[in-house]
Amino acid sequence: MNRWEHWRHRIRAMFWIRRRSFRLVMGIITVIASGLIGLSVFARQADQVSILMPAPFADSTAELVRTFNREHQGRIHLNVIRGPLETEAISDLAISSLLLGDTPFDALLMDVTWIPKYAKAGWLEPLDSYFDDDELNALATGASEGNHYEGSLLRWPLVADIGLLYWRTDLMNQPPRTPEELESISRKLQNSGKIPYGYVWQGRQYEGLSCVYLEMIDGFGGEWLSQQTGRVGLDEAPGIAAARWLDELIERGISPRAVTNFAEPEALQSFKSGQAAFMRNWPYAWAELQKNDSAVRNRVGITTMVAKKGEKPSSTLGSWGLSLLKGSARPESTVEAFKFLTSEESQRYLYTNFGYTPTRKAIFNDQTLLNEHPSLASIGTALSFARARPETPLYAQMSDVLQRKLSSTLTGMTSPRDGMEQAERSTNQVLDAAGGIS
Amino acid sequence: MLILLIPSLLFLIAVFALPLIRYVWLSFHADSVMTGLMAIPNQGANWQRFIHDSRYWQDLLQTLRFALVSVTAEVVLGLAIALILNQPLRKRALIRSSSLIPWALPTTVMALGWRWIFNTPYGPVDRLAQAALGRSLNALGEPSLAWMTTVYADVWKTTPFVALILLAGLQTIPADLYEAAKLEGAGPWVCLRRITIPLLLPYIGLALMFRLAQAFGVFDLVQVMTGGGPASSTESIALYAYWNALRFLDFGYSATIMIASFVILSSLIAIAWLVISTARSRSAGAIAR
Amino acid sequence: MKLGRLLIITLLIWSLAPLGWQLYTSFCTDQALVLPFASHDQRWTLAHYQSVLTSDPPFIRYLFNSLFAGVLSTILTLLLAIPASYSLSKLQKRTALIIKCLLIACALFPYVLLFLALLEIARFLQLGNSLIALAVPYAALSQPLAVLLLTNAFSDLPQELEDAARVEGLTLLQRFRWILLPLITPAIASTAILVFLFSWNEYPIALTWISDSDKLTLPVAMARIAGSSIHSVPYGPYAAATVIGSIPLILLVMIFQKPIVSGLTTGAVKG
Repeated sequence: MNRWEHWRHRIRAMFWIRRRSFRLVMGIITVIASGLIGLSVFARQADQVSILMPAPFADSTAELVRTFNREHQGRIHLNVIRGPLETEAISDLAISSLLLGDTPFDALLMDVTWIPKYAKAGWLEPLDSYFDDDELNALATGASEGNHYEGSLLRWPLVADIGLLYWRTDLMNQPPRTPEELESISRKLQNSGKIPYGYVWQGRQYEGLSCVYLEMIDGFGGEWLSQQTGRVGLDEAPGIAAARWLDELIERGISPRAVTNFAEPEALQSFKSGQAAFMRNWPYAWAELQKNDSAVRNRVGITTMVAKKGEKPSSTLGSWGLSLLKGSARPESTVEAFKFLTSEESQRYLYTNFGYTPTRKAIFNDQTLLNEHPSLASIGTALSFARARPETPLYAQMSDVLQRKLSSTLTGMTSPRDGMEQAERSTNQVLDAAGGIS
Repeated sequence: MLILLIPSLLFLIAVFALPLIRYVWLSFHADSVMTGLMAIPNQGANWQRFIHDSRYWQDLLQTLRFALVSVTAEVVLGLAIALILNQPLRKRALIRSSSLIPWALPTTVMALGWRWIFNTPYGPVDRLAQAALGRSLNALGEPSLAWMTTVYADVWKTTPFVALILLAGLQTIPADLYEAAKLEGAGPWVCLRRITIPLLLPYIGLALMFRLAQAFGVFDLVQVMTGGGPASSTESIALYAYWNALRFLDFGYSATIMIASFVILSSLIAIAWLVISTARSRSAGAIAR
Repeated sequence: MKLGRLLIITLLIWSLAPLGWQLYTSFCTDQALVLPFASHDQRWTLAHYQSVLTSDPPFIRYLFNSLFAGVLSTILTLLLAIPASYSLSKLQKRTALIIKCLLIACALFPYVLLFLALLEIARFLQLGNSLIALAVPYAALSQPLAVLLLTNAFSDLPQELEDAARVEGLTLLQRFRWILLPLITPAIASTAILVFLFSWNEYPIALTWISDSDKLTLPVAMARIAGSSIHSVPYGPYAAATVIGSIPLILLVMIFQKPIVSGLTTGAVKG
């Protein structure tokens, strides 16, 4: 047969033979596809209150959540969503969700620096109607900071974190009060071979670095951002001196080079294994240092950060609190969950088991607790020196600029003076482009 | 007949053309948290800010540095791998699939792995450095080194892709060319220079342009592996644009960055294409001789 | 030959060593990771795999989400690309060339730059947090590659085949179902697997379109896991997650090695 007929013959063969097997294959595909679609449409349980929290908080409040669900069986079911550990990461996540319009959770455990931004974007529901004056007054000083924006209460504090200086009680009698004292004590100890490093802190380019810097610029007598005038004080003498001091810690070997990549876990690891005399960290580290695998168990003291003679010490406020999101379908139940998680009992539980700083005055004045945990007094003192970071919706950008320039200084790419002057310029650029700080 | 093209075309326009138009429009408006996430015309203030934004230009340089170094390494290594894979091998399929695995893995999955491998002081690279050089490398903490680790991670992942493209090219070179050259007494190096590379130029060019464009938009790797890096040394323009949108909630400025980057990238690709075309026509002439 | 052998082994080590190190790390206790030479009985553990597999939501869920999004995107891509490439293969040479150049330009485009506009689309059309909706941008971004590959395949079919089929009285749809598609099955397989790989590995769009922890795809989940550990040295669980996350892809590459390679190489040759 010629070529033409050859093709026609093939066509016929393909057409008729394949019909049967085709039906079979289509049938299988339909079954699999509908199975997949069906599974994906499985509705989650309706009527829940969900709160997004960073992983450590999600883990530590797990027991409280279980108790709450038991007590409110059938009425309210609280579900804590575990988010990333890093502050920026969880903020990115929350913002992603909020931008997408549907709020997959009713509440968010908010870092203190996010309030202005989220409030300005219109994502937070005011809490003034849910909390009365008595409850507000029951909060300790320092814990009541950073919860308001433009007059409304937008966040109810859960944990009042502040920056602390940890010191080794077995290596010295008194903790240092000034930067010079810290340096000389470290040098003495390092020279005598007792410990390899003097001071470990968070030097990586992230929010923790801004917290460290804020304590130092305040300790040197300066100010990052003046809330009243909107002036940025990074390139003034105290600002440059603070950056220079941090830089010299690394240059003089008091802090290891690797500190430029340290976040809280790395600094903690270093101090916990006995490699440093001082550490800057948050209160949670205390509980970690008393664990069985800690080389410095029972040999740690805490105090406020060092400051120049004549200046007040400063502790960066890092508190976390619960905020109600605007789109929540169950605001009352959510606030009930808030009140449970921040009740006196819960706060006691969180403090004794995880070292989370309480927010209620009553707990700081509880004698039995103070007897069991003498460090609580130091934390209370530090809390009274709590200093909030600049409260403006543009804070993320300001902090970003500072982190970059400071990190560039610490890694030796720019001098402290140049770094801080560039930071000042960039910060002003950002503020100008936005037309002011609020 | 042409009607069959329409659904696909609509999707393409929706996803490639419309966003670019939107970016141009958005770049002339202020749309940020300060405006309540609504677009308000601001007569080019974004562009003014953009021109003076040293951070963008620094990120651009860093991104270009990353792209050029990793693409060069990928082409060189890819050629080597393609030459290796072109030999008659036993278990050829197994070896090929093994060398493809790096390319198939999601970037973020292995990015964590790289963070660990380069970790100071516990990762294997640092341990090796401590043993061999006596001091810690601090690869992820030193701005001068961190970008190299990202280049290495990128080269590891995408070299198989380049190698495959070059392998396809190698397989189109007729064997008798090499035989003729061997008869004339040409060694392997000469074969490489005079036959292989000129004939592979279209493929090298293709791989180069592809990889250049993709490396320009590096995002996954830097976000997970270094987060922008020590002192922002590994920050890429895509990462900066992302942060402007999702962290600083400044959509207007983010759009400005992205449309400007698109224009810059297009010019670069156009230049690269011109360079490659001239190289091709020149080498075609050389082969004819 | 010795040199060849050596080179092959070097290649394999270079390709697989990082993954191998992760495998090794995933079985090491946290102690062993920190101390260089811990004693043997303190060295090995399955705890990391336990913590990864029993996390909430379970890790398997992310694999399932990626699978779902991948399958859906692949189907949608093929539905759009097959008709388009058929008609493209029938066009005049010059118009076809112009369109192909445009498609190559689209394929070159670093799609991460599109995330903002796509995010706005997701906000506007309420497409966020839906794995089904995610297939739409994925299919759109895969069009250039798919159309280019399939057009080549269609062009390779002899014209007489279709003419014969037309003479036999088969309509366009029937020609597709019984003749054309079966004949280009290898190309469809290559396209499908490459599109599936793309959507499995895609990150920026999945990152911005999906925030619900239940609905995350694998790359986004891994990035989130990266930030989630409260341990001092969290790399054990990461390594376990890396290993588990890599297994499906390794299997995919091993099984579908042929279509992947042929897809990429024909794309390169004709492109």
